[in-house]
Amino acid sequence: METKILGYRRENGRIGIRNHVVIIPVDDLSNAACLAVEHNVAGTLALPHPYGRIQFGADLELHFKTLIGAGRNPNVAAVVVIGIEQNWAKRIADGIADTGKPVAYFGIEGYGDLKTIERASRKAQEYVQFATSLEKVEAELKDLVVSFKCGESDTTSGLAGNPTAGVVGDRLVKLGGTVIFGETPETTGAEHVLAKHFATPELSQQFLKVHAEYMKLIESKGADLLGTQPTQGNIAGGLTTIEEKAFGNIEKAGKTPIIGLLAPCEEPTKPGRYFMDTSSAAAECITVMMAAGAVLHIFITGQGNIVGNPIEPVVKMSANPNTCAYMPEHIDVDIKGVLSRELTLDQAADKVMDCVVKTARGRYTDAETLNHKEFVLTRLYPSA
Amino acid sequence: MSSHKFLMHEAEDYVGVAVQDIKAGEEVMGVDLHGGKEFRVKSNHDIPLGHKIALKPVKKGEVVIKYGENVGNATQDIAVGDWVHTHNLKTGRWNYGN
Repeated sequence: METKILGYRRENGRIGIRNHVVIIPVDDLSNAACLAVEHNVAGTLALPHPYGRIQFGADLELHFKTLIGAGRNPNVAAVVVIGIEQNWAKRIADGIADTGKPVAYFGIEGYGDLKTIERASRKAQEYVQFATSLEKVEAELKDLVVSFKCGESDTTSGLAGNPTAGVVGDRLVKLGGTVIFGETPETTGAEHVLAKHFATPELSQQFLKVHAEYMKLIESKGADLLGTQPTQGNIAGGLTTIEEKAFGNIEKAGKTPIIGLLAPCEEPTKPGRYFMDTSSAAAECITVMMAAGAVLHIFITGQGNIVGNPIEPVVKMSANPNTCAYMPEHIDVDIKGVLSRELTLDQAADKVMDCVVKTARGRYTDAETLNHKEFVLTRLYPSA
Repeated sequence: MSSHKFLMHEAEDYVGVAVQDIKAGEEVMGVDLHGGKEFRVKSNHDIPLGHKIALKPVKKGEVVIKYGENVGNATQDIAVGDWVHTHNLKTGRWNYGN
């Protein structure tokens, strides 16, 4: 199997497979300036979002971690940060700077949009010329942090897509790679089984505690997940209960033990399989995994989720023959042969690995070609 | 190549998953993914691809097993060959007052 890829070796030794110059707004107010810089300077990528004002506590911390993580991601060559207040723009730039990559920040107050756009555009032009001067280097699949998530799942996800993802994850770990999966709420009903996948009893207990805290949060709102989990799409695809969905979901866990439980946006420190405490909403989940340094995402869909991410290429697979037939422009890897028993899980995993290697050598995924750039920040509670 | 129309995660599962559309009255064959054992059942309903067919009778209130695990409780009696979905199967979670 081909395991050589072509990537970009960043100043801190990490390997990226894309070479973005990103323009990060600290807050909603700075989106306009960031989009103007993106318009002015070819080769830049603005990451507009609707938040960043008067947040507090853990919610504010997660906001910073996500924006800092986006800038730190090895798929990013250089970063321009723009905020209404210079101090907070600096805080994000400082969080990125220890990667060694070029980063600059600008505050709009005292200058106005037009002067800020000009200053930031000049810096962005310099960064694009820096980034486009970088040569690709040969690297190994094991150098990549790969994340996994399923979405618009149906029963085919549990039969074929997620078990295939489990095999792919096991292979990447065996090569010495790092893989992350998550979706805490969607383990509900199967949490006691997933707990056994953790490498130590302590980690199992930590995971069950994180899950129980999530359940308490839902109950504290006087709510349950009936009507939300499974989703309307899940139900159309034949999934009836959250337990059934959860057992399908955890097929992604594969056979290699989980060596760490990560908080959202927390970077893994050594190779192996990790569980990240994330939302099950596709774009939110991928965004926090990207902010933890994941450079390639493997997404399993049944009914046809179309999500992408601006920084982390998303490779999509489906085993549902209807989805593969009706939405082919969204499905990078068609593994419907698992259902007809014409493909074994290992053969399906071969097809996925082939697409992973091609993506890691530069080929655009379906989501990239279709301009899917969902950058979605997770909010923990309302602003003050 | 076998002409199976449903798959099961485990041989002891109470339900199989249609991997092609199944018609009411149709005699269909299915295979369990781990053991490769074949099962035959006559469908009582139209069952679309991805939906579940009952392979064992389940009484109202009893658990339904898939993946070899409890995936919820029957909300009415389920006969062999029945379509199993939200009309006769419900989560065991958040069953307040039920």
